[in-house]
Amino acid sequence: MAILEIRDIFKDFDGLRVLTGISLSVEERERFAVIGPNGAGKTTLFNIVSGKFRPSSGTVMYDGDEITRAPMHQRNRRGLSRSFQITNVFQNLSVFDNVLAGVCSHAGLRYNLLRRPHRNQSLCRRTEEILEEVGLWEFRQTLARELAYGQQRALELAITLSTEPRLVLLDEPTAGMSRQETEEAIRMVRRVTERMACMIIEHDMNVVFSLAERIAVLHYGMILACGRPEDIRQDQRVKDAYLGEQGS
Amino acid sequence: MKGKGSLLRWFWPLVAVAVLVALPAILPRYQLRLVNEALIFSLFAVSYNLLLGYAGLLSFGHAMFFGVGAYTTGLLAGKGAAMPFFGALALATLVTTLVGFAVGVLLLRVRGTPFALLTLAFNALFYAIAIKWSDLTGGDDGLKLFRPAIDVGITQLNTNAHSVFYYITLLVVGVTLLYCWYFTRTSMGRTVLLMRENEERLRFVGYNTSVSRLILFTFTGSLAGMAGSFYALFFSFVSLEAISIDMTTRVLLMTFIGGTGHFLGPVLGAGVYIYLQDFLSDLTDRWPLIMGVLFILIVLFAPGGLSGIIRSATGFFVRQDNAKG
Amino acid sequence: MQEVAVYFLHGLAYAGLLFLVSSGLTLVFGMMNVLNFAHASFYMLGAYFAYSLLVYTGNFWLALVVSPMALFVLGALVERFLLRKVHELGHLHELLLTFGLAYIIQEGVKWLWGTNPQAMAIPSFLAEGVNIFGVTYPVYRLFVFGLAVALGLLMALALYTTRVGIIVRAAVDDHDMVSALGIRVPLVFMGVFAFGAALSGFAGVIAGPLLTVFPGMAHTILVDAFVVIVVGGMGSLGGAVLASFIIGELQSFGVILFPKFSLALIYMLMALVLVVRPEGLFGERQ
Repeated sequence: MAILEIRDIFKDFDGLRVLTGISLSVEERERFAVIGPNGAGKTTLFNIVSGKFRPSSGTVMYDGDEITRAPMHQRNRRGLSRSFQITNVFQNLSVFDNVLAGVCSHAGLRYNLLRRPHRNQSLCRRTEEILEEVGLWEFRQTLARELAYGQQRALELAITLSTEPRLVLLDEPTAGMSRQETEEAIRMVRRVTERMACMIIEHDMNVVFSLAERIAVLHYGMILACGRPEDIRQDQRVKDAYLGEQGS
Repeated sequence: MKGKGSLLRWFWPLVAVAVLVALPAILPRYQLRLVNEALIFSLFAVSYNLLLGYAGLLSFGHAMFFGVGAYTTGLLAGKGAAMPFFGALALATLVTTLVGFAVGVLLLRVRGTPFALLTLAFNALFYAIAIKWSDLTGGDDGLKLFRPAIDVGITQLNTNAHSVFYYITLLVVGVTLLYCWYFTRTSMGRTVLLMRENEERLRFVGYNTSVSRLILFTFTGSLAGMAGSFYALFFSFVSLEAISIDMTTRVLLMTFIGGTGHFLGPVLGAGVYIYLQDFLSDLTDRWPLIMGVLFILIVLFAPGGLSGIIRSATGFFVRQDNAKG
Repeated sequence: MQEVAVYFLHGLAYAGLLFLVSSGLTLVFGMMNVLNFAHASFYMLGAYFAYSLLVYTGNFWLALVVSPMALFVLGALVERFLLRKVHELGHLHELLLTFGLAYIIQEGVKWLWGTNPQAMAIPSFLAEGVNIFGVTYPVYRLFVFGLAVALGLLMALALYTTRVGIIVRAAVDDHDMVSALGIRVPLVFMGVFAFGAALSGFAGVIAGPLLTVFPGMAHTILVDAFVVIVVGGMGSLGGAVLASFIIGELQSFGVILFPKFSLALIYMLMALVLVVRPEGLFGERQ
């Protein structure tokens, strides 16, 4: 069954139509990429799926339930998590605390006036596991703002994973990375998202074709094509509109 | 090594407690009263710092909780009232808690400058209400209080005795402050920090920030209300000053001068402010000017306040990754 | 009916003062995102400087010109050496700085001039009354209103026709863009801040004879100025004009209709706007 189903999403901003009739679905444990030129509406789509915006019309179904108007925190508690293109972490807290936040949240420990998260063995262990997965364990006591760029992106991913999601939305996870960093990022994303569905916005075609099992091409707020990577590669419309300009 | 370290951690706090307990035997009455006042304002300032240093919210209205606590106590312990000591204290704190909740509901989605302005507006509103309801609040004349004695089985504690009142303050305020310190390590305490850093991301990891905001406001409001209650009982008098913007200014100055970057910063600030005020007001009428200059100097050159300065110099007041500055 | 007209005119005069004070405040906020708590302190200093100049020279017009100039210099110094220093520590710190500055100026004024209110004499030819609606109305209040209107028009002219004015408006709108265009933004900031201080000081000078000169005068107008910029929209001059008018009239009529509550009424208006429509009448949604 599809874990995410988007039906007929329209989004208008002050008279400007940004998304037109978007429909797509993502299967459990599938890696789904959304590509398209800047301004095509990709991040807006993510914002609608993750709950930052409400669509002007249309529905978003998660795991069979409608979440179109659900608040962000509720979506996350059901297993939907997102990362950000511009690093959006807790700057003045340690890497450990950054990830602990989500781990505690998943365990239901959010506003407790008596229990201390740092004394909770299982929560701390889980946090350290996640940090190991993204390669940040040695930096666990470093303040987030003191991390190098690549490490910040890793932290960004770690926070996204900390709530044990079943669907992650990754917004340009390799933005600003060097060739080598991108290769490592691809490996890491593939490794950590094995058990979950994953929707990725990307500009780097290398990343897209390495990771995606299915691709949707967005162009001026509409889906131009949707299908498997080989098919998208051959699709003439896509080539004309997008890939052709980029080169492959 | 770890064992020795954890024992050592308790050394200085225990010394401090021992000193505080011994003070009535050491200090003359006047000085003891200053310490008492400093304790009360420590609670007020710590509650303020939970908003400022920990949650990153600059409030210009904290005196409204303080004042509500003070006035409620004034009514419960005033002429003809028969309420017991702790009953009055508890009820005043409860009332303030409700006010804190109500204000929290109104301030749910506001930060930064609009937050500062709104809290200023509320404080002014409370002040205006206090003036208008002069039948209740005594208006410019204020309310006189009579400290209820405390029944302890066979005998009664005379709360008008300075040392008795001091020990009560030390006990109640002390335990409350201890909990506040503990609070900063609890799940909710950590959530407050997370809210300061990135409220949006916090929502994306499953926290309902409206709930955490409300809890924060209710909690800090009730703490300030308790402080206000003690204030009223301490001076046996409440006036408009307790609910004025000047009172908010006072706690802001105390907290910031002490330093927002450490839990004990506001405690230090309260002590310094009260002593300085006492010392300077004998010398000049314009001691607020000196306070103001001190404040500005700290804003400009030592944003971590006095505790920050001490930290750089001696390594005391080590930051527990709680705050900026 | 006559009474209503009189209160209306009173409101106009106060609205004029409010506009002069809040226009600088709103421009500074729109441009630098700093709410200057000390802005009304500049107003008060303007009044006190003018008072002293009047005492020493007896010349009102001299005070009217020199006092704002002194505030211009002071404003520039404050921006350059105090505000800028605190800028990188964040908004909270900027607020704390301006707040602390207001506090010091308040206490400083009490120290230098004492706590008693001081009267300022209105220049003789403005001390007359004029016949309006069958009532003899003080000319001076009309003078205050007239000056505010004149200055407002001059500002509008400068902002919309001169190159400097266009730069300032652009900086209020989007200062990252402006600095990307190579314009020396720090200089623009300093200039606008200083100008706002001077304008505020000017308002203080003309307010002096009207409202007397006393240490609390900063606080009373600060409140109203805050309400004006919130209601009008932070960064909007047009909003400041309209809101000044509204608040001015509200204050004028409010004092007789709800004497003890009038202050709270104004604050409640601000709270209402902040909660319901935070961008004010003409502001832009952040």
